[in-house]
Amino acid sequence: MDIEAYISSGIIELYVLGLASEEEVSILNCIRQNNSAVDLAITEAEKMLEDLAELQAVAMPMPLKEKIWTRLKSENLITEDEQSDLGPIVPTVTKQPVGELPNSIAEEKPTEMVPVRTYGWAIAASLLFVLSAGANLFFYQQQKENSQMLAQANAQLDSQQATLAVLQDKWTLVQNPAIKTISLKGIESKPDLHAIVYWDQQSKAVFLSLEHMPLPPKGKQYQLWAMVDGKPVSAGVFPVAAKAQMASKMLDVAKAQAFAITLEDEGGKPAPTLTELCVMGSI
Amino acid sequence: MSPLHNLSEETLILLLKKKNQQAFSYLYDNYADSLYGVVCRIVNSAEHAEEVIQDVFVKIWKYIDLFDEDKGRLYTWMINIARNAALDYRKSKSAKDELKNQPLSNIVNREEEQDRSQNERNAQADFIGFKNILDNLKPECRILIEMAYYEGYTQQEIAQQLDIPLGTIKTRTKAAFLQLKTMLKDYR
Repeated sequence: MDIEAYISSGIIELYVLGLASEEEVSILNCIRQNNSAVDLAITEAEKMLEDLAELQAVAMPMPLKEKIWTRLKSENLITEDEQSDLGPIVPTVTKQPVGELPNSIAEEKPTEMVPVRTYGWAIAASLLFVLSAGANLFFYQQQKENSQMLAQANAQLDSQQATLAVLQDKWTLVQNPAIKTISLKGIESKPDLHAIVYWDQQSKAVFLSLEHMPLPPKGKQYQLWAMVDGKPVSAGVFPVAAKAQMASKMLDVAKAQAFAITLEDEGGKPAPTLTELCVMGSI
Repeated sequence: MSPLHNLSEETLILLLKKKNQQAFSYLYDNYADSLYGVVCRIVNSAEHAEEVIQDVFVKIWKYIDLFDEDKGRLYTWMINIARNAALDYRKSKSAKDELKNQPLSNIVNREEEQDRSQNERNAQADFIGFKNILDNLKPECRILIEMAYYEGYTQQEIAQQLDIPLGTIKTRTKAAFLQLKTMLKDYR
């Protein structure tokens, strides 16, 4: 709730004038217990009306003081100072008016409201508290769900952005007129495999992307070979850390008629293990 | 505000709960005139106001044990006892009048309202030192506070009688308090 807006809404003024509905009063009492700004605003408004009463005071007719005192005495509402010395009498005398209270409350209308209302407020306040605790739990869980969803969405976005970056990377390679694209296809026993070599004819730089190759088992790496005049020359191993579809820079190749990839032990070998041949493609 | 109010509310509550003559004297000397001022504004005859203010003191005396200082201020509590007692008296009196005379119209227009306040003001001349601070408020603000605080009307009744929406009551009440605040500052 916006406390500033609540305070300036005029509800506190209605309350101190006795205009607020019971529902508004119970809400206000609940809020003032938990919010010092509201409590302070109420006290301020009450003090204003106290000041007003003070300024608009009217002198009491003289004999009334004695008259009221006599009435209090006759209704046994006084604790006489002498009586406190008499010991045992005190409890009976002082307890009497207290015992009478429930009856007089029932008889007198304005004050009857006091205890009833107090309980009403207490009940309303407890209800409000339970409601607000429930609402808190509900919002907390919803907030948790929301943040999970947000995290998921972020992860999705990240991976899509990464894919996009890979594609953009390859796109710039393909757009370069100096680049020759060589498609490496799976050998007879592994027909689905596919990789692409981008070969810059000017700088002789070679890039490799593994379009559709199984993740190498632990301790193994894919190694690219350039077939130069019938002899395989290593063009380096595909980095373990690199994303498969990313066009990774390999070793420069000056001259080649074909490219091939074998699965080798980590770090690569000087000569290819032909039984581990995966894909190849000629220029 | 008054130099006589030199006890804190806390001390006064403790004193009142002792229920001895010293407590009564202090209560009477410091608060009687303010409380009487409230009663006089609601009950417009000196004779009846004297009756009501006696009841107010008896009630404060009786129910001080029920007063919960965590829930409000003692002075405000006493003022509200005075207001409620006077408003109850006013209601029972107007109920009697209604039985005697023909039924009163529910709808009182602004002119009648002002005439009535004028009559009441003449009646208030009975009281010694009667000062009406609220007269300095804008009329539309003054009538709101008077109807609510001194005449005990509900929001709905005020809205009906003044023919204004409930929302306007809220904003006007707020405005009335702002005006009152600056006014009260001048008196200090």
